Amino acid sequence: MPDWIFGFIILIVKLGVVLLALLLLAAYLVWVERKFLARLQIRYGPNRAGKFGLLQPIADTIKMLIKEDIVPAAADRFIFLLAPAVVATTALMMFAVVPFGSHLTLWGRQVPLVITDLNVGLLYIFALSSLGVYGVAMGGWASNSKYSLLGGIRGAAQMISYELALGLSLVPIIMLADSFSIVDIVNAQANYPFIIVQPFAFVIFMISAMAESKRIPFDMPEAENELGAGYHTEYSGIRFGLFFLGEYVHLQVLGALVAVLFLGGWRGPILPPPVWLLIKMILVALIMIWVRGTLPRLRYDQLMALGWKVLIPLSLINIMVTGAILLI
Amino acid sequence: MPKIIIDDRDIEVAPGTKVIEAAEQLGIMIPRFCYHPALGSVGACRVCAVKFLQGPFKGVQMSCMVDAQDDMVVSTTDEEAVAFRKSVIEWLMLHHPHDCPVCDAGGHCLLQDMTVSGGHGIRRYPGKKRTYHDQYLGPLIQHEMNRCIHCYRCSRFYQEFNGYRDLGAMQSANQTYFGRFEEGILESPFSGNLIDICPTGVYTDKPSRYFGRRWDYERSPSLCINCSLGCHTIASSRYRKVVRQEARLNEAINGHFICDRGRYGFSYNSLKQRPRTALFDGQTASIDEGLAVLKQRLQAIVDTDGSAAIACAGSSRNSLETLAMIKRVSQARSWQPPAYLIDDAITAKVKTAISVLDPDLAVEMREIESADFVAVLGADPLNEAPMLALALRQAQRKGATIAVFDPRPVCLPCEFTHLPADPDAIHTGFGAVINTALDAAVVDKLDAPAREFYSSLAAGEQTFTFQQTEIDTLAEKLKTCQRPVMVCGTEIVSRQTPALAADCAALLQAAGKAAGLFYVMPGTNAFAAGLLTDENVSVETLITAIEQGSVKALILVECNPLWQFPDRQRIEQALQKLELLAVTDYVNSEVVPKANIFLPTTTLYESGGIYINQEGRVQVVEPAYRGGIPIAETGNGDHPPRIYDSQIPGVEPQAAWQILAQLIDIGQQINANDLRTDIQHWLIKSESGFNQLPGLAQIPPLGTRFFQAPNSQKHFECQQPNGGSTDDGRLEVLVTERTFGTEELSAYSACLQELANAPCICMHSSDAQQLNLNDGDQVALELNGGVIEARLQVVENMAPAMLIIPRDGKLNWQQMETGQTRIRRDQIRKVE
Amino acid sequence: MKDAIEAVKALAIGFATTFKHLFRKPITEEYPEYKRPLPARSRARIILTRDPDGAERCVACYLCSAVCPVSCISMQSAEKEGGRRYAQWFRINFARCIYCGFCEEACPTSAIQLTPQFENCKNDILSFVYEKKDLLVDHQGKDKEYNFYKYAGVATDVGQKGEHIKEERPVNIKSNLP
Repeated sequence: MPDWIFGFIILIVKLGVVLLALLLLAAYLVWVERKFLARLQIRYGPNRAGKFGLLQPIADTIKMLIKEDIVPAAADRFIFLLAPAVVATTALMMFAVVPFGSHLTLWGRQVPLVITDLNVGLLYIFALSSLGVYGVAMGGWASNSKYSLLGGIRGAAQMISYELALGLSLVPIIMLADSFSIVDIVNAQANYPFIIVQPFAFVIFMISAMAESKRIPFDMPEAENELGAGYHTEYSGIRFGLFFLGEYVHLQVLGALVAVLFLGGWRGPILPPPVWLLIKMILVALIMIWVRGTLPRLRYDQLMALGWKVLIPLSLINIMVTGAILLI
Repeated sequence: MPKIIIDDRDIEVAPGTKVIEAAEQLGIMIPRFCYHPALGSVGACRVCAVKFLQGPFKGVQMSCMVDAQDDMVVSTTDEEAVAFRKSVIEWLMLHHPHDCPVCDAGGHCLLQDMTVSGGHGIRRYPGKKRTYHDQYLGPLIQHEMNRCIHCYRCSRFYQEFNGYRDLGAMQSANQTYFGRFEEGILESPFSGNLIDICPTGVYTDKPSRYFGRRWDYERSPSLCINCSLGCHTIASSRYRKVVRQEARLNEAINGHFICDRGRYGFSYNSLKQRPRTALFDGQTASIDEGLAVLKQRLQAIVDTDGSAAIACAGSSRNSLETLAMIKRVSQARSWQPPAYLIDDAITAKVKTAISVLDPDLAVEMREIESADFVAVLGADPLNEAPMLALALRQAQRKGATIAVFDPRPVCLPCEFTHLPADPDAIHTGFGAVINTALDAAVVDKLDAPAREFYSSLAAGEQTFTFQQTEIDTLAEKLKTCQRPVMVCGTEIVSRQTPALAADCAALLQAAGKAAGLFYVMPGTNAFAAGLLTDENVSVETLITAIEQGSVKALILVECNPLWQFPDRQRIEQALQKLELLAVTDYVNSEVVPKANIFLPTTTLYESGGIYINQEGRVQVVEPAYRGGIPIAETGNGDHPPRIYDSQIPGVEPQAAWQILAQLIDIGQQINANDLRTDIQHWLIKSESGFNQLPGLAQIPPLGTRFFQAPNSQKHFECQQPNGGSTDDGRLEVLVTERTFGTEELSAYSACLQELANAPCICMHSSDAQQLNLNDGDQVALELNGGVIEARLQVVENMAPAMLIIPRDGKLNWQQMETGQTRIRRDQIRKVE
Repeated sequence: MKDAIEAVKALAIGFATTFKHLFRKPITEEYPEYKRPLPARSRARIILTRDPDGAERCVACYLCSAVCPVSCISMQSAEKEGGRRYAQWFRINFARCIYCGFCEEACPTSAIQLTPQFENCKNDILSFVYEKKDLLVDHQGKDKEYNFYKYAGVATDVGQKGEHIKEERPVNIKSNLP
C-alpha cells in the first residue's frame, strides 16, 4: 500500500473519529453543563430522558432536527442560511491542530495523534476564531430584527476586543516554547505544565476564552432579558442547533487549548493520552460552568473596560516580565 | 357677553348660559342628574354643586341654577364642593339596590359613574332599603323603580317636553314614585327616550333586555330610515345583530330625542326570515350564479322584445347610491325609465315640493321649535313623521300658534287649532287665513306676481266647513307673528298644495316675515327619488305598461309595491303576466316568493349609504357592522358552533348598488368605495339635479343641505285645485299612515307590532249617524277587490264625508281600484 | 489595592458558596411523582359555582369578560323563567386564558372562581374551549354563603320586592301618608 493512500485513509479515519468525538462531546457537554449547573443551583437538572437524563442530548437533537426551519420574510435569505454554518464550521475546524497524543505505530508506520501539525497552529486557531465573528455578525445582520442586529454588533465588538487579550496572553507561552506549533508547545511542557510559570497568562486566557465563546458572564450578545436571544433570535430548528453546536465546540476547543497550552496537553500518568486530554478539557469546561453558575452578567461598558483597560495591559506587562526573565 | 373663570380657565359665554354649560364648553364635566340640556335646570338633585370663590355671591351653589356673570370665579374641585357632592351621592345611594350586575344600565349609568368617581363605596347607613313595586309599561320599556334617585328627569321629559300625561310623579317625599296611575302601555310614541334620559336604570330597553353591555356593543353613528326626517341615531350591534338604537344629538334635525318608530324600527335587519341567499326558480344559488342567470334571461328578453321591454323599480327606502345605480343601469341598457314612487300623483307632488324648496325658505326641523306660527297643511305629524310633532310641541310651549289644516283626526301632543278640511279645502281654508292676515297696504307694495297670487287666494270658493271665526283668530295670530312656518305634507294633499305652501311662505316673506317652509315626504329618500325620477313615471305606470304588454321583465330593487299599491288584484295579475320578475331586497317581502330570480342585498347597517331627507339634507351613513347571520341564530340559542371558520356565515349579500353595477360593465373590477365615488361622479355629471352634490368627504357628520339652484322665480305659479269635490253622497277614501304598523320596515319589529293598535277605520260622527253605525262597530267595506273588515272609530275632529283607512299590513286594505277615491255609502255595512 | 483584595475576596466567597451548593440535596420537588398540595386560592382551572340553593350563581353581567385582559371569556345573557338573569351560553377559551384571576375578582356574585386544579393539558386546541356545561359545578366553591338574588332587590323566584335581606315593604303609592 503506497504511503499516500495509507496517509489518506488515516487522515479520513482521524477526521471521522475526531469529528464524531467532538459532536458527541458537544452534545454531552450540554448535558454536563445542565446537570452541573443544576447542582450548583440545588436542582436536579435533566432527569427525565433516560437514566439521569442521559438521553436528553439525543432528545434535544431530534427535536431540533424535526422542528420547523423558519426564515423570516424580511431576512437576507442567503446570508441568513449561511451564518450558522460559518459559526459551526470554523469552530470544528479549529480542532485540526490540537494534538491528542504523541503518536501511534500502526503496521510499522508512525501515526501522529493530531490531524495536522501546522507550524503556525496557534495563528491558525486565532484566524479561525476571528472568522467565527463573521458568523455572529452575519446572523445578526441577516435576520433583519433589531434584537438580532444588536446581538450581532455586540458579539462582533466583544469577540474582536477579547481576541487581543487572548492573543497577547499567549505570547509568553510562545516565547517559552519557541514555536507556534501546538505540538511543539505540548512537547515543551514535558517537564512541567506552563500554568506553574505562567499563572497570570492562564487567568487572562481563561477570562478571554470565556468572553470569546460568549458564555456567562460575558453573554452580552444573547443577553436574553434584553435582546430575546441576541443574534440567533430569529433562528429555529437545526439552524439554531448549528449555532448551539458551534458554541459548545468552541467551548471544547478553548478547553483543549487551555489543556494544551497550560496544563501539559495529553501528558499524564497511567491513562492513555487522549483520555488525559479529555479529562483536562472537561475540567476546564467544569470551571467555566462553575463561573457561569456564580457570576452575573457584566454590563456592556464593564465588559469593554475589563477587556481593554485590564486584560490587555496585564497581558502586555506579563509579556514584558516574561521577556525580561527569559533574557536574564 | 359674560366672562367667567372656572378652574383657573376663563371663557366668554352667551348671556343666560348656566355655569354648568359654561364648564361643559371648557370641557369640564360637572356631575349632574336632573339637569339635561333639552329639559333645562331645576336644581333638584344637588349634585352639580360647585364653589363660587369670587363674584356676585360666594359659597357652594348649584351650577345648573346660576347664570354665568362677569367676575365670577368658580372652582369645581374645591374641597367644600367635593365633600358636598360626595355626601349628596351617598344620600342618593341610601336606597339604591345592589343590583348593578343584573341592571341593563350598568356600564352606561350616570349614577354608577358619579358614585365611582365621587369615591363612595361602602354604604354606612344601617337602615333598610325602600322598595317599590314596578309597573308594566308596554313592550318597549322595563320599569325598575327601586333604582330611582328622584331626579324628575322622566316626568319632566314625559309631561313637559313630550306633552303626555300618563306618566308622572306620585306620592310624596321619600316615597315619591314615577309611573302610571294604572299599569299599561305608555301612550307616548316618544316613550323610548325615557331610557336615554334616565340617569340610572329605572327605565331600560325591553326588546334588548339582558342582551349585553354598552361596552361590548359596536356603536356606530347611524340614521333612522323609518320616515323622511332622517333623524340621527346610534346603532348598537353585537354578535352580528343590531340590538339597540338610541338617539344621537343633532342640533339641526332631532335634537336629543327620537321617536319609538325610529328607535325600534331596525328589527328587519336581524330577522331569522331575512333572505340571505340568492334564488332562481326556487333553487338556492350564489349571488354570482344568480346574477349570471339574471343576465342571461335579460338578454333573452332583449333578443326577443328589445331592451325597452325591461323596467326597473326602486323605492324611497333605497340609498342614494342604489337610486342612482338603478337609473344608470336603466339608461346604459336602454330599459324603460325607472320608477321610484308609487303613483303619478305622489311623483308630481314630490317633484313640485323639491322644485320650490327655496334655500331662503327652507327651515330645519329644529328651527320649527323657534317658530311663532306653524301652519300644518295636509300633514299628520304624529303619524307621518313623529319627531315633527315633538318639534311642534316645543314651538307651542314657547308660545307659537299651531294650525292644522288636515281632513284626518290629527292628534298632537300640544294645543293646536284643527281645521278639518278635505284635501282641496286646505287650499281655500289656508288661503283665507293668509288673505285675511295680510293688510292691503302691505300687499300693494309687493311685486305683481305676488299680488296676483294674493288675490287668487281670496278667489277660491269657500268650500270648507269650519267657522269664519276660527279663520279670523288664526289670521290675527298670523298677522302679529314674526317667524311663521308652513309645514306641508305630500301624501294626501292635492297636487297643488306643495306649491301653495311654498307660495304662501314666499308671500309672507315678501310681506316682511321670516317665513319658513318644511315638507314631509313619503319615505326616507323620497327627496332623492323625486330628483331622479322622470315626470309621469311611477310604479303605477309600469303596471299599466306590463298590462299593455310592452314591459316583459321587471326588476324590483328593494321595492315592494304590494305594500303600498291600493289595487292588489291588479298588481298580482300584472306580476303574473311578466316573463321575468327579479327582486333584490333585504327583507322577506311579499314579492320575494313571487320572484323568478331573487338576489339578497344588505341593509343600511351593513353597507351604509347616502340619504337625503325631506329638507334636502345629504347624510352619509357608515356601516354599523360587517353583517352576517347573528350568532344567536348560528348557535340556535345555545353557544356558537364549535368549528373553525375564517368566513363569517351569511355575509354573501351585497349592497343593491353593487349588485346592479354588475349588470353593466363597471362593478366587476372596482371595490365598493371606488364604486361609491364613481356613482357620485356619475350623478354630478349626468343628473342636473345633483350638480351641486358635495363630495363624500365634504359631507359633515351633521349632514349638509344641498339645493337645486334657487328657484325664487318659480314662486307664485300655484294653481287652484281643479275642484271635483262635487258632493255626490259618496265618501272620500283616504289611505293614511299611522305611527306604528304602516311603515314597511318598522312593521317587521315585533315590539312595534304589539304597540300598533288593531287598525281601525275612521269616520266622522255625522256620517256614522247617517249610516247608523256606532263607535267600535265591526264594519266591512265591500270593494271590487274584496272586503276590508275593521273596527270603526267614530270621531268628531275630522272632515265629514270621508273614510280614513290606515295603510296597515294587518288590514289587507289593498282592495281598491287604482285611482279610486270614493266609495258609495251602501258599500259599507256593519258586521254582526 | 485594597479594592482588588476586596474584589478577589468577594469573588472567592461567591465561588465557595456555589461550590458548597454542589453537595446539598436538591430542593426540587419532582412533579408527577410528588404533587404539592396547592393553597385553595391558587389560580388555575376556572369553574362556575352554584349558590347555596343550588341555582346557578352567574348572572351574565359581563364583568368578567370585560376585565379579562386576553378576552377569553364570552357569553350571552338572557332571562330565565322566574326573572333571573343568567348566561344562555358561557364560554372560556383556556387556550387563551392566562389565569390572572381578574374574572374572579370582578365577579359580583362569586360565580366564577379559579381552582387549584391546574392539570388540564390537551392536544386538541378546540378541547380547550370550555362551554357552560364544562364549567358549571355542583358546589359553592370558596364562597359558601353568598346568594346574590337575596340582596339584589330585583323581583325573582328568590324573593319578590321587599322580601330580600334588609328591605322594607314596598311603598304604597296610592296612599297620601308620608
